[in-house]
Amino acid sequence: MAEEVTFKCLRCGYTYKGTYDRKVPEERECPKCGSNSVRPLPKGKGD
Amino acid sequence: MDVGRHPKIKLLAYSEIEEITGYIGNFHVKVRKKARYVDEIACTACGECVKVCPVVKPDEHQLGLATRKAIYIPFAQAVPASYLIDMEDCLGNNPIACGACAEVCDPRAIDYDQKDEILELDVGVAIVATGMDVCDPTILDEYRYTKYENVITSWEFEILTGPGYVTRGELLRPTDRKVPKSIAFVQCVGSRAERRGNPYCSNICCMNTIKDTLYLKEHHPEIDCTVFYMDIRAFGKGYEELYKRSKEVGVKYIRGIPGDIVEDRKTRNLVLTVENTTTGKIQRHEFEMVVLSIGVIPRPDTETVQRLLTLSKAADGFLMETHYQLNPIDAPTGGVFLAGCCESPKDIKASVIQASGAASRAETLLSAGKVKVEAITSEVIPDLCKACGICVDVCPYGSITVDRKAKTPASIVEAACKGCGTCGAECRFDALRMRHFTDDQIIAMIDAMFEERPEEKVCIFACNWCSYGGADLAGLSRMQYPPSGRVIRTMCSGRVAEKFVWHAFRKGAPVVLISGCHFADCHYIDANRWTQKRVEKLWDKMEQKGIRPERLQLEWISAAEAVKWTRVMHAVEELRKTVTREEIEETMRILSEEKGK
Repeated sequence: MAEEVTFKCLRCGYTYKGTYDRKVPEERECPKCGSNSVRPLPKGKGD
Repeated sequence: MDVGRHPKIKLLAYSEIEEITGYIGNFHVKVRKKARYVDEIACTACGECVKVCPVVKPDEHQLGLATRKAIYIPFAQAVPASYLIDMEDCLGNNPIACGACAEVCDPRAIDYDQKDEILELDVGVAIVATGMDVCDPTILDEYRYTKYENVITSWEFEILTGPGYVTRGELLRPTDRKVPKSIAFVQCVGSRAERRGNPYCSNICCMNTIKDTLYLKEHHPEIDCTVFYMDIRAFGKGYEELYKRSKEVGVKYIRGIPGDIVEDRKTRNLVLTVENTTTGKIQRHEFEMVVLSIGVIPRPDTETVQRLLTLSKAADGFLMETHYQLNPIDAPTGGVFLAGCCESPKDIKASVIQASGAASRAETLLSAGKVKVEAITSEVIPDLCKACGICVDVCPYGSITVDRKAKTPASIVEAACKGCGTCGAECRFDALRMRHFTDDQIIAMIDAMFEERPEEKVCIFACNWCSYGGADLAGLSRMQYPPSGRVIRTMCSGRVAEKFVWHAFRKGAPVVLISGCHFADCHYIDANRWTQKRVEKLWDKMEQKGIRPERLQLEWISAAEAVKWTRVMHAVEELRKTVTREEIEETMRILSEEKGK
């Protein structure tokens, strides 16, 4: 099920909120630097 | 017509495929043959039934410009040439509310009790030729398609000029039913547009417009024809000559796409405002009719076809071939071939070429009776298999079966396996061996990579089809990037198992990069989705172990993205410089201690 999470770019460190569904993978791209190393932070980490 | 008469071709019209199982050479297909309520063999297509049917509906085939009855033939050349009753439109068959068609049918072909039939077929190969759809012009409001009747689409133009259609080939202006004196054609409607419509060129619109203008000039030389375009793409044999001919007969070409269309309320004429990009001046032109040359889009049911045959879809929504240049007919699933616009927008000639190629590829397989499979496939080591079934869940081709209840080891249909290696990466018991890309081989490459000065190297796993190609192109293009990257090629990023990443860090890797195809380009349907899931788990585990997740990078790089490859190489080098010798040693200690436990 989709949930609101914080994404963190593991290249430039930029964080942003977005929806995340573990079962429906989507190609992600950091809005700031364009890297695909965008990590959905575990609950409580980026809040 | 020839297909319908061919003794060796069984044509199932008005039917839909519900399920396809199996693999190359052994497909099992379930087809729903919909009830026509008319015996297609008994029907002589005399048309008496149509005369008495009281239900009038818009004719979908003529885009609603004409009407049809509840009993109808979808279009003039339909095969079989037999009527059918649309039961949603008919006044009813249970109980029979009208029955007029049955009363006048001499051959007694009407059968109100007919039911849908499920047919089961065993076939060796499948050819997908599901065609395309056209772009909806209503998303581009500046052309006022929904507001002004005299703005029509190129498809509607075909209907209005086709001899078998509503006007019997006489082009009439919708508002006054008179032959227009001037017509504008606007190109690239819904094509080559980044923001609205589609970014790709629809391939057929330029030549279709040129054909339309020649048709008009042939039948009505007095009509003033003007084409507004970005650039005319007349690339095929004889096309440039047609373009020249069109200009010679008086068709005007203006380089510029109208930004606005306004109707004169009195005359119902249309005034187009356009920047002529050749002169750089804003111009206004008045026409009696405007034809929007609408682009081509994938059919809305492409996803259903994709699911039925486990195919890949490209970013533009069309079905993806195995290789754009070297294997443009085969689908990624063995025994499935693509023909026509389901693969990309193309003209009739290109469609015929591809269809002939697909028929030939299919025939080659069927006549051989056996198939050569790739050497790179997975094999099960039965003694290690615990029948957990993870491999079954991740295989994009459904080539693995396992009986979880009976705990019998998994088995692989090698003819269906394409060798992505995702099963091997996900198996927790090392029960799957990926030929030519075994765990031992990859571990040995990592060992060799970090034998000397590991802190100076970045371990890169690159997929064969995209990222490795991107690296290759960067090299061929003489692009400069830091030499710290060491590449291990795998067929798919899905092959990169967690243990490879841990092993690289254990051996002193400062940074590991996993790089694969963009989601829409995955050559193994959706195997790279498993890569992303695995990397996300790895990031969490790294954090739990006290290792910076940043040291594991993930990038999607296509074979054409040499620039991106170079940029990423610079970025990972910058990242590598931030990893100290102490941090590497601490990581090695954490992972070695864990392994010892």
